[in-house]
Amino acid sequence: MTQQIPIETLHPTIRMLSDEQISAIHHASMDILEHTGIVMKNEQARRLLLENGAWESGDRIKIPERVVMNAIRSAPGRIALYDRLGNLAMPLQPGKVFFGTGSDCIYTLDIDTGERRPVTMEDIRQMAHLADGLQQIDFCMSMGNPTDSPPDHLYVDEFISMITGSTKPNVYTANNRADIEDIYRIACAVAGGELALRERPFMMLYAESISPLLYPDESVDKLLFCAEKGIPVTYPPSPNTGGGGPITLAGALALGNAETLIGLVLTQLVRPGTPFLYGMNTAALDMKTAIVAYGAPEWPTGMAAWCDLARHYGLPTWGAAGATDSKTVDAQAGIEASLTIMTAFLCRCNLVHDVGYMEYGSTSSMELMVIADEVIRDVRRIVDGVEVSERTLALDAIHRANPGSGFLADNHTLENWRWAQFRPVLFDRNRYDRWVKLGSKDMTRRANERAKAIMAEHTVAPLPLAAQETIAEVLGRRKEID
Amino acid sequence: MSDMMQAIAENIYQGDDTQVAALVRKALAQDTTPEQVLAQGLIAGMDQVGRDFKAGDLFVPEVLVAARAMSAGMLILRPLLAERGAPSVGKYVIGTVRGDLHDIGKNLVRMMLEGAGFEIVDLGTDVPPAAFVDAVRTHRPSLVGMSALLTTTMTQMKATIDALEEAGLRDTVKVMIGGAPVTADYAQRIGADAYAPDAATAVDVARELAA
Repeated sequence: MTQQIPIETLHPTIRMLSDEQISAIHHASMDILEHTGIVMKNEQARRLLLENGAWESGDRIKIPERVVMNAIRSAPGRIALYDRLGNLAMPLQPGKVFFGTGSDCIYTLDIDTGERRPVTMEDIRQMAHLADGLQQIDFCMSMGNPTDSPPDHLYVDEFISMITGSTKPNVYTANNRADIEDIYRIACAVAGGELALRERPFMMLYAESISPLLYPDESVDKLLFCAEKGIPVTYPPSPNTGGGGPITLAGALALGNAETLIGLVLTQLVRPGTPFLYGMNTAALDMKTAIVAYGAPEWPTGMAAWCDLARHYGLPTWGAAGATDSKTVDAQAGIEASLTIMTAFLCRCNLVHDVGYMEYGSTSSMELMVIADEVIRDVRRIVDGVEVSERTLALDAIHRANPGSGFLADNHTLENWRWAQFRPVLFDRNRYDRWVKLGSKDMTRRANERAKAIMAEHTVAPLPLAAQETIAEVLGRRKEID
Repeated sequence: MSDMMQAIAENIYQGDDTQVAALVRKALAQDTTPEQVLAQGLIAGMDQVGRDFKAGDLFVPEVLVAARAMSAGMLILRPLLAERGAPSVGKYVIGTVRGDLHDIGKNLVRMMLEGAGFEIVDLGTDVPPAAFVDAVRTHRPSLVGMSALLTTTMTQMKATIDALEEAGLRDTVKVMIGGAPVTADYAQRIGADAYAPDAATAVDVARELAA
């Protein structure tokens, strides 16, 4: 037989919104911006908007669709993030899905004692170290606000701890322009200069407006800084249903879409082509406890929907998964983490954060990070689909099999088993006796041991000398000001 | 010379049947006895495979590829060992009991036992008690192994042991049983000598019983 065209493998996806729904939400967002308007507390941004087609009406700035659509056209459809050694690590573009941890928890579940306790700078370095050693984790975030750092410096200290612990790209937070200027200075030293950083960015700012419709001065200031420098930024609002957003998901999506697009507009007005990651967070404000529920089904539902919106605009997307409202690493944690990870894959969310979050984002857990790493590997196998080809149809093997005797020792099995089946690292499939012999350990216990083993064995390249000098200089100057 | 035995053992572990056959021939040409090649080369290699499999470091296909390399070596050694009247590790009659057509688990145990140097008589599946009795009478094995996957066919294990008893052959063999519904407790209740929960353990148990 001549060589024939291979059969394409279908990799399953989900869509949450029809074209008609996307269009309706888009127009609702445009209505919000043009008729309801936003409150802009940053003077530079206010002027920028007014000079470029927006108008002022009472305390509101109102923005016409034309301004938004121009910004969407000038924003890049792909954001390439590198590791801090200069290797391409995360091309945020259609079809690609990358996972990482979350920012700024208050507590961590101590890996040795299991105690829920405040976070230190060393915890942040260790979380980054673990993220660096986990194969399915592509980027890191701080996972905590360190209590051993002065409040004025904690975001700079977080950034330093993160880049010390990991070479993977990071998503960072900052309090104000002074923070981000210092972070930028350090990042330039790591990358080898401003141009090198712009060409191969290894970090992305995460800032946000306050839903509904409020744009604080300092938050916008950080956004503008990134646009001035041409470095990546994401500006996802949190119109949580019943809290920052209407109780109904469609309204929350329309509002969140309008809000994040204003972030996009500002970056593109300052510097067309600024890499901007589209997204929002639509958790549910729980009507019983008033916590923002990370395990709520509205989260993955909303995420799949805003990924549809992002695709409509041709923009890369921000999302969240691998998080839970549970207080311990238990069945609830596993279920909530798995459902969101599965959805993130199926809706092809490009950058997925919050892996390892416990207690509605208040606490971090290394065990949950390790478990999520395994879930990501598992779901990756599911979305890999079913290759249909000569080697996978295995007609020769089926032809030569003895009815009833199986394929275990067949050459086709011996030649293909390594790639044909998923092999778990953490999920236990031992026979009962062996499981008992190994200590009858549940998944959390195994995850705990794996986390410790990775931390003990995995090494991370040190920061370049220039970066270490810049860090010392930045910290020294900050101490003087204190 | 021990380098040569080590090379055979390593090639067993890697599952390279061509290399194993070549090295076995070479060793024999250099005046190593077939017994030495078997014990220090082939079985030494399979022992390491068995240890690593039980430790969770190897997968079933890796064990099977090693067993296949072992067979390539045994093909050369077996006639020589027979000529010299060397005792085998043990003769083992194996089968899935009457009413049960499940073959895969039994085959895995068979292949692992072959890898450990046992001489196997495989009666296949759906083997009635009388066929086990006939095989024991004909082949004079030291061990009989029975497999069952179904709770409903498991009772045939007792029927087979009873049949061996009636034929006056029960004391000539050790009987071991296994399969998904089978437990150590059940083995004891029906008068079997041993139970193994998986194929790797079956090899250890068989060795102990044959010793």
